[in-house]
Amino acid sequence: MPSPGTIAGPLQALIDEFAKFPTIGPKTAARLAFYLLSRPRHEAQALAEAILGMKDKVRFCSVCFALTQDDPCDLCTDERRESAICVVAEAKDVYAIERTGSYKGRYHVLGGLISPIDGIGPGQLRIRELNDRIGVEHPNEIIIATNPNSEGEATALYLSRVIAPLGVAVTRLAYGLPIGGDLDYADEITLSKSLEGRTALS
Amino acid sequence: MRLERLALSNVRNYALLDLEPQSGLNVFIGANAQGKSNLLEAIAVLGIGKSFRSGRDADMIRDGCERGMIRGEAVRGEGRVQIGCSIVKNGNSTRKTFTRAGRNVRYAQFLGALTVVTFVPADLQLVTGTPGERRAFLNTALAQQDAEYYRALSHYQAALRQKSALLRADGNPDEELLAVYDRTLAESGAIVVLARQSFVEALAREAAIAHERWSGRGERLELRYAPNVAFEAATQEAVRAALASRLREVARTERLRRMPLAGPHRDDLLATLDGRPLSNFGSQGQQRTAVLALKVAEYLVMRDRSGEAPLLLLDDVLSELDEQRATAFLGGVGDYEQAYVTATQRPPRLPAQSALFIVDAAQVRREGSVAC
Repeated sequence: MPSPGTIAGPLQALIDEFAKFPTIGPKTAARLAFYLLSRPRHEAQALAEAILGMKDKVRFCSVCFALTQDDPCDLCTDERRESAICVVAEAKDVYAIERTGSYKGRYHVLGGLISPIDGIGPGQLRIRELNDRIGVEHPNEIIIATNPNSEGEATALYLSRVIAPLGVAVTRLAYGLPIGGDLDYADEITLSKSLEGRTALS
Repeated sequence: MRLERLALSNVRNYALLDLEPQSGLNVFIGANAQGKSNLLEAIAVLGIGKSFRSGRDADMIRDGCERGMIRGEAVRGEGRVQIGCSIVKNGNSTRKTFTRAGRNVRYAQFLGALTVVTFVPADLQLVTGTPGERRAFLNTALAQQDAEYYRALSHYQAALRQKSALLRADGNPDEELLAVYDRTLAESGAIVVLARQSFVEALAREAAIAHERWSGRGERLELRYAPNVAFEAATQEAVRAALASRLREVARTERLRRMPLAGPHRDDLLATLDGRPLSNFGSQGQQRTAVLALKVAEYLVMRDRSGEAPLLLLDDVLSELDEQRATAFLGGVGDYEQAYVTATQRPPRLPAQSALFIVDAAQVRREGSVAC
């Protein structure tokens, strides 16, 4: 690896920028920078423009708080989508569920999970906004899709308590075994939750 | 159950160690600060995933190293499984990973591969110490034998930490959120309380028998579980309801004092001798005999419940006891499958089937089996 001082200033500057990325150390940062140096100018330009375009154009949807270029986002303006609202913790969770292709409703991104230890109470999340949407959109169902850890569970329980009085059905994603998995390798907690949530074969 | 191999790399004062313990009694002899207790600590980590000493996990990594690793081969009946624990420095903290049969597993799945009963000089104060120390004793024993207990206890503690933070931060905390945590506390708490109750009942029976055999004076040792919240029937629903109703009763005071006030995190285990609390009335000798009986009972109950004798780890404790009590203790657990003892000098009388190891500056040398 080149030592500081032997590298041209602009190249070192790029290495330093890459090294700020998560999971990227100084060696990988140098490799990425040297790779870009070896590519034609238009490729570097496309990368630079993609980065700036992303920063300038991507924002949070003012309705569901998913990431979007247009506000409100395509998911919110699509008239064919059903009225159900799937509540997730983070914007990236929207894409996880969209990738399944089997959900046709709308979303609501909370912006985190309730955790008083970390100073995050219900007031720090977009729960009031969810309440307002329920009043306006009258969804037929609220599907809570928070992670099955203790913060996710507490958030789900909290939501069900504050939403239930509004007269809308509240459901929770099922716990279960991964498809293609092996019973032997499942941990006891997942397995016993799967037993509790077993379904009839028909 | 027994450990057939113990391998350390960069753990405490050991750079590399590969040891083959024997069935029966393994005695580590050496001067102070040579690494005897570190061996027992490493074995305990394979059992309970953490040290029996106080202090940080980082302290277990050898000075100047980034990562310490403990591996072992646990044999239970016909089964044989490789288990391991790595402690890796990670900035100012450490990260622990567990393996079982070559795969990374979570702590909950690691627990129970090797069950251990540890006995260290600090345990001699169990009867007179704080309720927190007695709860830690119950938790360590129960988590090893009961995966559901460990799971419920983790849920309980996670909810309790969040509730504490919520009460502390805000003089006017969200009622609905408190209700969410209280619900988890009551549900998980009920599992914790019932497991503790039945474990202490079993402990009390065995401890009374062992104690009666030793004390000779007809004194009766009684152990009693003292739950913070009383309940009417030993069923999950009854205990859950009792916890939930108590949490409602104290809710106002909790908000005023900004801390959680009721639940199994305030339980205790009480020992009485002929009806008098040992912590206030017992002589030091009586208190020690009671702890010995409690430890023997822990061993016997864990053995009977799992059908497998746990490993006994006796760190520096036999030398703390007079010879009569030491003999009584070893007699009480007479049929152990494998035990580990540290001592500064060769004990005068060793049972047959003992292996002697000399520990000197992180080198361990086998002295050959001795017969008595």
